Amino acid sequence: MTAGAGQVVGQADGEWRAWRQRLVAGVRLLRLELRRSAMVWMLPVTGALFWYNAFRESMAEPAMWNLRAMTMQHGVLLDFAPPVVGAAAWMGSRDGRRQLTDLIGTVPRPRWTAQLATWAAVTCWALVAYCCCVGVLYGLTARQASWGGPLWWPAVVGAAGIPALAAVGFAAGAWFPSRFTVPIVTVGAFFALGFSSQPRAPQWRVSPTVSGAPSIGPDAGIGTFYHYLPDLSIAQVICVVGVAVAALGALGLLDRASGSWLRPIASSMTAVGLAAVVLAAGLAGTARLDPHGMLVIPALHDAANDRPIGYTPICAHAVIPICLNPAYAAYLPECKRALAPVLAEVAGLPGLPVRMSQGAPVYFGPLNSGFAPSGAGVVIADGSSDGSRQTTLVLPDQLPGEPSGADITVNQFIGQIRLPVAADLIKIMVGVAPGAVRVGAVPGAGRISAASGGGSPAQRAVAAALAIDAGATGAPRANTAVGLAADRFAALPAAVRHAWLATHLTALRAGRITLAQLP
Amino acid sequence: MNIEIADVTRQFGRTRAVAGVSLRTGAGVFGLLGPNGAGKTTLLRMLATVITPTSGSMRLLDRDPGAYAARREIRRRLGYLPQSLGYYPGFTVAEFVEYFALLKDMPPRQVPGAVATAIERVELAGKARAKLRTLSGGMLRRVGIAQAIVNEPELLLLDEPTAGLDPEQRVAFRLLLRELGARATVVVSTHLVEDIGVACGEVALMDAGKLVFHGTPQELTAKGEGHAIGDAPLERGYSAVLAAARS
Repeated sequence: MTAGAGQVVGQADGEWRAWRQRLVAGVRLLRLELRRSAMVWMLPVTGALFWYNAFRESMAEPAMWNLRAMTMQHGVLLDFAPPVVGAAAWMGSRDGRRQLTDLIGTVPRPRWTAQLATWAAVTCWALVAYCCCVGVLYGLTARQASWGGPLWWPAVVGAAGIPALAAVGFAAGAWFPSRFTVPIVTVGAFFALGFSSQPRAPQWRVSPTVSGAPSIGPDAGIGTFYHYLPDLSIAQVICVVGVAVAALGALGLLDRASGSWLRPIASSMTAVGLAAVVLAAGLAGTARLDPHGMLVIPALHDAANDRPIGYTPICAHAVIPICLNPAYAAYLPECKRALAPVLAEVAGLPGLPVRMSQGAPVYFGPLNSGFAPSGAGVVIADGSSDGSRQTTLVLPDQLPGEPSGADITVNQFIGQIRLPVAADLIKIMVGVAPGAVRVGAVPGAGRISAASGGGSPAQRAVAAALAIDAGATGAPRANTAVGLAADRFAALPAAVRHAWLATHLTALRAGRITLAQLP
Repeated sequence: MNIEIADVTRQFGRTRAVAGVSLRTGAGVFGLLGPNGAGKTTLLRMLATVITPTSGSMRLLDRDPGAYAARREIRRRLGYLPQSLGYYPGFTVAEFVEYFALLKDMPPRQVPGAVATAIERVELAGKARAKLRTLSGGMLRRVGIAQAIVNEPELLLLDEPTAGLDPEQRVAFRLLLRELGARATVVVSTHLVEDIGVACGEVALMDAGKLVFHGTPQELTAKGEGHAIGDAPLERGYSAVLAAARS
């Protein structure tokens, strides 16, 4: 080896040793800060806020991963914001409040790196608290949920938001080391997050508190049949990382005692961070609603995520098998209760489907990002059939026990399943939907209005009678010839009615039976 | 020479805190005397590289503090005790000193030993695990001295180091100063002239931002012969020089 090469190796070795020393010193600084961070005192407060808000709200949802994870994402940063921002602002203002700025300004290590260690300690404790809180929530959900696994993206967005909250609080505290900074920044961050969770413009969807399409929110059908799309989550992570980088860059701008090398780095960080926020907001603005209820951001979308999730359905037998996605296992008894009377009416008749399987809800319509009530602007197909012998069952978008819903009872839920399925089934069997006779007698009846109309008077009367008898609709009846015939047919004993249908169903479908020929 | 400053001024708005001070000094204890508002603290802050001079030239430890790399090197070899020492109340004595040892870029392996030594030297070994919020004012001052000397500085700047120390501690501190001054430049800014007389080999007196005396304590004492104001000979010298400067 030549002397020159040896010198280069020695120089590299020296540089490596210096870096290692700096790293070890950084770790020791962090260890000191971890021991004395104000965030430690905020941990019980954080836990209590999380329990009071996000935990209780999420756990009140049915035990489905999508509902709980999305509800958690909406609330968790609002719970973490006050203690994390407050503690970070307190720690950020520490040197200024404690009159240590001069002393810290005389050390060779840039003040910025010392501040980063302090910020990192706050962030570490906050992340520990976050992981514990989310861990408990996910752990309980894992024990209760009948199927599926954790949705990680909502948790990742929250986790990425914690360093950003700490960075904003810390930078504010460092820039304005006044005793008023902590309360002002704490309250400000809470309201800013709360404000951003109710988006007025499409770009506001980038707020980490927005989980999914604002006009739909957490919904049982999202992420159950098709993969949970990470598009919006990725934009949100870009945004919060940008906020954190910008805030930490702003912190570096404060350090005037260090060399001139720091200023361009800090300025660049601030600029890059702000650019990331703008980019993320722009991306969120391009989002559109996909048929599976999630937001697609074309620039971030991976088509591989569009494939359906495979599952083994769970089934109950009521004339024919009724099969649901295993995530909905808890609702199988209600589905059976809802469908058994309808299926009993048509059991054994020609054309009866061999099986009824749950299908994915379809979300369509304009994506309303404003202040509209939940569901406005989005139409959810709650029943469909293609005339094949395998009928698709789409459950209502609101499940019993969902606090965010319209407090739907089990009986209402059963009614909401029974009505559209009865309409579809009767239409398949008789050739006309019962809505042709009457619309709006029970809640949700309006949903079958589109299927009404057409068919012979006898078909309409039989369809109405079957619907009445299956409990899919009820009295009073219209005082018309069709209504009277429907009353008469419905009043027949079930066995008689069934026997007549078995004999005359083909002729009825063909329109060859008149009202007078109905028994 | 560890400190070489020439015609240094520092202005805060219209106020000229330091006006054309020139000074050269090497190893040893250097006393900086002067009444309130004389500019001692501002001069010390400039020497500590906290603030830069408005004009004039400055070399510390044979380096130009205007250049970042040199300034960083100076700071590695610098110890500074500000007039009003801030502290983190939740830190223990050992943690506080360790914190500054790490910020002073000391090799991490040497830090625990250096911290223990520094705490020992200020006679706080028994309080190493005590939180700073539980300490008296005098003890806090000693913690400040410990953090200043933890890196074995070549240039030690102490602003009112004996404020709050009891007589016994002051005696011990003077011994420490002499020990430190054997191989480093120690600049002590104080109102207490007796500290200067015992511990310092060189003394300077500032008034209205200017250096009005620079010499040995004996020379300062000599200036006070025949002067009426002051209980001790050095105090009389101090008063005499100030009176002459103001007249």
